[in-house]
Amino acid sequence: MTRRKRMLADLEQDIRDHLERETQDNIDRGMSPEDARCAARRKFGNVTRIKEETWEVWSVVWLEQLLQDVRFGIRTLLRSPGLTVAAVMAIALGIGINVGIFSVLNGLALRLLPVPRAQELVSVNQIFHFQGRGERFIHNDASWFSYSEYLDYRDHNHVFSGMVAYEPYVEATLRDINVQQVLGTAASCNYFDVLIEHPARGRGFVDSDCGSRAANAVVVVSDDLWRGKFAADPSLVGKKIVLNQTAYTVIGIARPGFTGTEPIPSAFWVPITMQQALEPGSDRLSNDNMSWLALLGRTQPGVTMKEVRADLDVIAGRMDQRHPRRSTSLVVHVATFFSSPDQRSFLIPVASVVLAAFALVLLIACANVASLLLARASVRQREIALRLSMGASRWRLVRQLLTESLLLSLAGGALGSVIAFWSFIRITQLVTSHLPHDFPPFAVNVAPNLHVVAYALVLSLLTGIAFGLVPALRSSRPDLNSVIKGDGTSFGASKKSGHLLLNTLVGSQVAVCMVLLLAAGLLLRGLYSAQTVDPGFEIKRVATLFLDLGKQGYDSARATGFMQHFRELIQGLPGVIEVAQAECAPLSHDFSASHFMVPGRADTVAIEYNHVTSDYFSLLGIPIVRGRSFKPAETHEAPGIIVTESTARRLWPGQDPLGKALREISGREYSVVGVAKDAQVAHLGQLDTNYLYFPAGKEDDSRSYVLVRYATGFTDVATSIRDAGRSIDPGVSIDVARLEDYLEVWRAPSRIVAALSGALGALALLLCSIGVYGMVSYSVSRSVRDIGIRMALGADGSQVMRHILWQAMRPVLIGGAVGVALCAAVSGVLSSMMFGLGAHDPLAFISMPLFLLAVAFVATFIPGRRAMRVDPMVALRCE
Amino acid sequence: MIQQGTSAHLDILPEAGVVSPSMSTREEMERIELLQGTLDLLILRTLQLGPMHGHAIAKAIEFRSDEVLQVEQGSLYPALHRLIKRRWISAKEGTSENNRRAKFYALTFRGRRQLTVETSKWDKLARAIAQILRPGEQEEA
Repeated sequence: MTRRKRMLADLEQDIRDHLERETQDNIDRGMSPEDARCAARRKFGNVTRIKEETWEVWSVVWLEQLLQDVRFGIRTLLRSPGLTVAAVMAIALGIGINVGIFSVLNGLALRLLPVPRAQELVSVNQIFHFQGRGERFIHNDASWFSYSEYLDYRDHNHVFSGMVAYEPYVEATLRDINVQQVLGTAASCNYFDVLIEHPARGRGFVDSDCGSRAANAVVVVSDDLWRGKFAADPSLVGKKIVLNQTAYTVIGIARPGFTGTEPIPSAFWVPITMQQALEPGSDRLSNDNMSWLALLGRTQPGVTMKEVRADLDVIAGRMDQRHPRRSTSLVVHVATFFSSPDQRSFLIPVASVVLAAFALVLLIACANVASLLLARASVRQREIALRLSMGASRWRLVRQLLTESLLLSLAGGALGSVIAFWSFIRITQLVTSHLPHDFPPFAVNVAPNLHVVAYALVLSLLTGIAFGLVPALRSSRPDLNSVIKGDGTSFGASKKSGHLLLNTLVGSQVAVCMVLLLAAGLLLRGLYSAQTVDPGFEIKRVATLFLDLGKQGYDSARATGFMQHFRELIQGLPGVIEVAQAECAPLSHDFSASHFMVPGRADTVAIEYNHVTSDYFSLLGIPIVRGRSFKPAETHEAPGIIVTESTARRLWPGQDPLGKALREISGREYSVVGVAKDAQVAHLGQLDTNYLYFPAGKEDDSRSYVLVRYATGFTDVATSIRDAGRSIDPGVSIDVARLEDYLEVWRAPSRIVAALSGALGALALLLCSIGVYGMVSYSVSRSVRDIGIRMALGADGSQVMRHILWQAMRPVLIGGAVGVALCAAVSGVLSSMMFGLGAHDPLAFISMPLFLLAVAFVATFIPGRRAMRVDPMVALRCE
Repeated sequence: MIQQGTSAHLDILPEAGVVSPSMSTREEMERIELLQGTLDLLILRTLQLGPMHGHAIAKAIEFRSDEVLQVEQGSLYPALHRLIKRRWISAKEGTSENNRRAKFYALTFRGRRQLTVETSKWDKLARAIAQILRPGEQEEA
């Protein structure tokens, strides 16, 4: 027996001895035996409490009480399985979807790179601040580095054991049996060593691979490419493959699962010194003022992030001295897939909106469970009052009630998380596999890791406190007398405030639900308008072909020759009606814009533009409303331009735009020769952006789109177009698509968001109607006597029903109104998804509230019917 | 209120449950509430006279304070166990005056040491409070 147990066992004997001695003393003083015993007990105090306090001296109090609370809590929860299951399900739903969406965001932004010892890898980015006017060339990301800057950081830092630079997303044409476009990476030659990613077969780069420019044509291919394109040929290492017209020797095959350090998988890696061979026509290595290389460093053991920043800042400061009027601030943090400041500034607001929307559903679930617990607390008030009157402290009771709600929330959280882990992996697969074909393949690992588990745990604990605290505080403060006497109408004097609390809970559920439903309604309306929007040009039966001849090794003259020949061949194909060429195809997410000055005006205007051939307008059915279209002979040198109607209206209000001048920021002057009708050629849903057309010239031939209007089936035309291209040069990759498919790329985000918000809205509605139903049936069962009296005094069923409906619908109406106001205030953030509809689309703002009210009405009506059937005699007798 | 941990500082919150809640004659109202932790000090001081059982400790405290300090006798027991847990006192079986079995509590070495510490702390506290309450007298003295 431990000392503690022995002590406690003796305690009772001790107390008995003590009382006997005191009684004896009292008798000696002349009291009667009864009085003496009473006085002794009085003087001793509450024996049970004394025992408990002594016991607490010896126990690791909080732990034992916690275990006690947990045991008691489990027993209590099991005694009312209906309530427990309902609460756990609501919480599982709320926490599950939050954990699920967090695991997606975690996979996107928080997960470390999938390489060994990834916690040591640091992403380095820079932001330039220019005094006055600054100039910097940007390829891919403004916060990246030039090659000379990379060498400077690599050679002069004292904190990294190695530093790599790479250019991701290099498009290359892989010539094999078929011609195929793949995305690859140009990387510094320490890439595989610093990342500790030794290829599974063959070798990675060594320093000599980067020894001289364009000399070492070697390549490491990804496991996916090896299996997908080369049928896992074990003898591939040592063979040559052709990328963008240059032959490379395969020296290694990457480990399965290693897809590079960017979210879009890389199919191959070549030494950075091969950049110009890989991307003919652009010499980035020798451009010291171009951002094109992402930087990663592996920190030496024991070096802190602060030391890394301080060390690199010294190098940046030295560079700034060479560039007066420019100062650099470095952004350094642990490397993830989304590391650069630009990507983060996009991802963080999006992620917060998404997380907030999902948190709203959890909020409804909390309010829901809180009202359930509150309702049950009134059933338990006799138990609670008894424990209070026996001397339990209020804090102790609150702790015990909180333990119960934490048990509920942890059970719900565990269940929800398991379901989320399982389902979100599949949901993500489903979403990514149904993206339109123009979307790049996107690798996001949504499997749970420590971040996600911690998030789930914290969320569950917070949830438990959120829905448990208010009911616990309230129910541990009943009016002892009235409760024990059995006058169990409600919380004694606090009956009114009890109802207020319940009504507030229901009202806030409705308000939050209204916000989500309205958002879903608006997004669904946006989706509908995206599906039915008229872009203002003929989109059907048009094929688009994208050719990037420059990337495929063509010089300008050869490209022009190819394009001329190719267009003639297409024109002659059966079923082809018209052929046009343009720098950007309509809605292709290819944009060009420049700043122009209007003579006589001080400011400059940003105008998007396109270079098009004369048949572009007739092919797409865009009428020229004033002036003329381009003549076939007009090229880049011609000064004529065509503007859209709304551009003309904006630049020269009330004047004839024909013959008006526009000067580009470079100084070249143009004059308007025609006005085209507005069309949504650049952004779907935006009709009146500034837009103008230049005539296309041979400069466009090395990278351009060909538009083909056809009369027959698309597949036949596409095949004959590809054959025509191959008959000129079998090595050219031609991407043929339907113009309509470009619409899908615009619609896909709105479809995904609408589906997501629709699902959220439906969940919210479900939870909310359960909440309203629960509150009404609770208040009906509490006021049976009330109803009985009314009916005994002559009220009929419909009057009782009206009373109940009014009582229940009041918080619903107030909450609904608050929700509508909230949503109207914030719906502006959705406007980019609305495709021309206003953010206050009246149809959504009328139909959704009516729908919610109808659902709430039904949820009230069903339990309300029970009240109509109350037999006044039974109701009055039962209490 | 349960004092936890092993720090033995005096704080000046009134100890709940020390004054008997039952009787409320005028005489009793004039009795002084014990300060938190003070009971521990009184027990230690009382046991300096020699091992005693619980009832005797309560009686001794009452008697030696001219019955001004009224201990709710029950609260003695959590305090005794607290002191045992800190190893300031020990408990062993013995026989009382009238030859009855009883548990005797005795000061340990550590307890003796603690008593000196606590006593000097108490003196400091009492002086400090007196200084605040009667600044004039202190200056004269």
